[in-house]
Amino acid sequence: MRLQFILVEVLQGLRRNATMVVSVILVTFVSLIFVGAAALLQTQVTKLKGDWYDLVEVSVFLCPDGSTVPTCAEGEATEAQIEAVERAIDTELGDLVATTYFESKTEAFEAFSARYPDGYQGTQLTEEDMQASYRLQLADPEQYQVVDDVLGGRDGVEVIEDQRAAFEPLFLALNRASLVAVGLAAVMLLAAALLITTTIRLSAVSRRRETGIMRLVGASNLFVQLPFMLEGAIAALVGAVLAVGGLWLAVQYLVVDWLAQSVDWVNYVTTADVLAIAPLLLGVAVALAVVSSVVTLHRYTRV
Amino acid sequence: MIRFENVSKVYARGARPALDDVDVDIERGEFVFLVGASGSGKSTFLRLVLREERPTGGRVYVAGRDLTRLSAWKVPSLRRGIGMVFQDFRLLPNKNVYENVAFALQVIGRPRHTIRTTVPEVLEWVGLDGKEKRRPHELSGGEQQRVAIARAFVNRPQILLADEPTGNLDPTTSLGIMRLLDRINSTGTTVVMATHDDEIVNEMRRRVVELSTGRVVRDEADAQYGRREDILPLVGPAPVLDAPGRGVPRPSVPNPRIVVQPEPGDLAAERAAEAALEQGAFDHDGAQDDADVADPPGVGTRSRRAMSRAGVEEA
Repeated sequence: MRLQFILVEVLQGLRRNATMVVSVILVTFVSLIFVGAAALLQTQVTKLKGDWYDLVEVSVFLCPDGSTVPTCAEGEATEAQIEAVERAIDTELGDLVATTYFESKTEAFEAFSARYPDGYQGTQLTEEDMQASYRLQLADPEQYQVVDDVLGGRDGVEVIEDQRAAFEPLFLALNRASLVAVGLAAVMLLAAALLITTTIRLSAVSRRRETGIMRLVGASNLFVQLPFMLEGAIAALVGAVLAVGGLWLAVQYLVVDWLAQSVDWVNYVTTADVLAIAPLLLGVAVALAVVSSVVTLHRYTRV
Repeated sequence: MIRFENVSKVYARGARPALDDVDVDIERGEFVFLVGASGSGKSTFLRLVLREERPTGGRVYVAGRDLTRLSAWKVPSLRRGIGMVFQDFRLLPNKNVYENVAFALQVIGRPRHTIRTTVPEVLEWVGLDGKEKRRPHELSGGEQQRVAIARAFVNRPQILLADEPTGNLDPTTSLGIMRLLDRINSTGTTVVMATHDDEIVNEMRRRVVELSTGRVVRDEADAQYGRREDILPLVGPAPVLDAPGRGVPRPSVPNPRIVVQPEPGDLAAERAAEAALEQGAFDHDGAQDDADVADPPGVGTRSRRAMSRAGVEEA
């Protein structure tokens, strides 16, 4: 009984304010597209990190002969220095390092020869030109800085390289893009909130007679306000559903059908990811509607 | 039932108080006229009973509750025990008669079968049987007020407040509305009616509380409206009223009055209501489901009273 009554009220309200409701739907739709785009970019970044960080290593290059780095003042790294580095890796970095691999000069030369059988850029290198190194695979690649703190500046260590650095420009670009999307989303969400506020206010004013009588005969506050809240929430939810649909189409046609076909070595976001962020978008829409309607109704239909 | 203890109400800081130290005690089942000039505080009095306003000083007790301490979420349950009727009817123009009355029950969550049985009963009781499908604009003023009264009474409130319910109606139609209010009163409902209509007050001879600039200046049982000069002391023979022929006796017409013929619908409604009463429609053995307050001991049983009978029992 109550439910049916409220639903009829809501439908009447939506019909009466059709143009405002449509504008609420569109503004929510656009703002949630931005929110969703930011979320998808972050998903993409996470996917790429997951894929690529498994492959990256931290290389601790030991001093070769004739290096000008201060820690290599004593010339090529001695046995004692190498042992000290190994001990430091075992004791101080034991938790961080998943696997340790020592590449001697001989092995480095073999790898080099396998890759460049005809010499590198015309010069014929020998085993003595190679450099010994420790290859560390970190349990968490983000912890590179700790490795650098422990091993950097140690005698016999020439330089420490993080292969992760190669991806940084790409991730930076993706993160900046998400930031821009989030910023636009914030502006659009503000617009949506104001629009929902106005819609509810209009609706409340046009139904002042009804709400006046409802209050007079003792309808509860919730009963008076619920139709208005539902109106805002329904409009926002429709916008959210449209946004999810829009993102799904965009991912399906731009990423899955086109980008993934032409550049196929990257793990892209899929439509499943769109569905995974759908609850987030719907939640944002509902929260938006509830917050703006509570603020408005507090002023317009108080008992 | 309604008790005002030293109640003051000031709307804006520094303004003249709308009510100033008002002390009134209305017993269960009483019929009280609230008279006074416009702006004397009658409407404020009614709004305080409904807790649409809160007093700035003193205490208001309604049906055993201290309204000055009543928390906001209990206000709806207070209002379910109070019916309110206005001068301008306040019906919903897009709903028909039946829907207007049913609306009052729907919004407080009464089950559908209750609404289906109660609404026709109360409509028959006010004399609007057969007009359920009409829209308010298709009804005469008197009929509209009957719908408004039906809406106010359909939930069997303990208190009925009426703010100049006859203010928009011709004298004969007003009389019909007053009979209805009297019938409601005779079911044990406390009725408080703000009015300017001296003829009705003089004819009914009930308790009269007179307000003047926010103070109670008179509170008598079996009272009359009072001389106009008492109520409006400042209005003398103003020049604009000094029309030619004023004060000249007109022997041919001893008591000149404009005779207003009420609309046939109003007369029919009154006859129908009388008939419904004879048949005992909407009899009041139904249980009050808003058992908000227990009766204070000693007050309660009231005999049915006819409109013509003067006299108010004072508890």
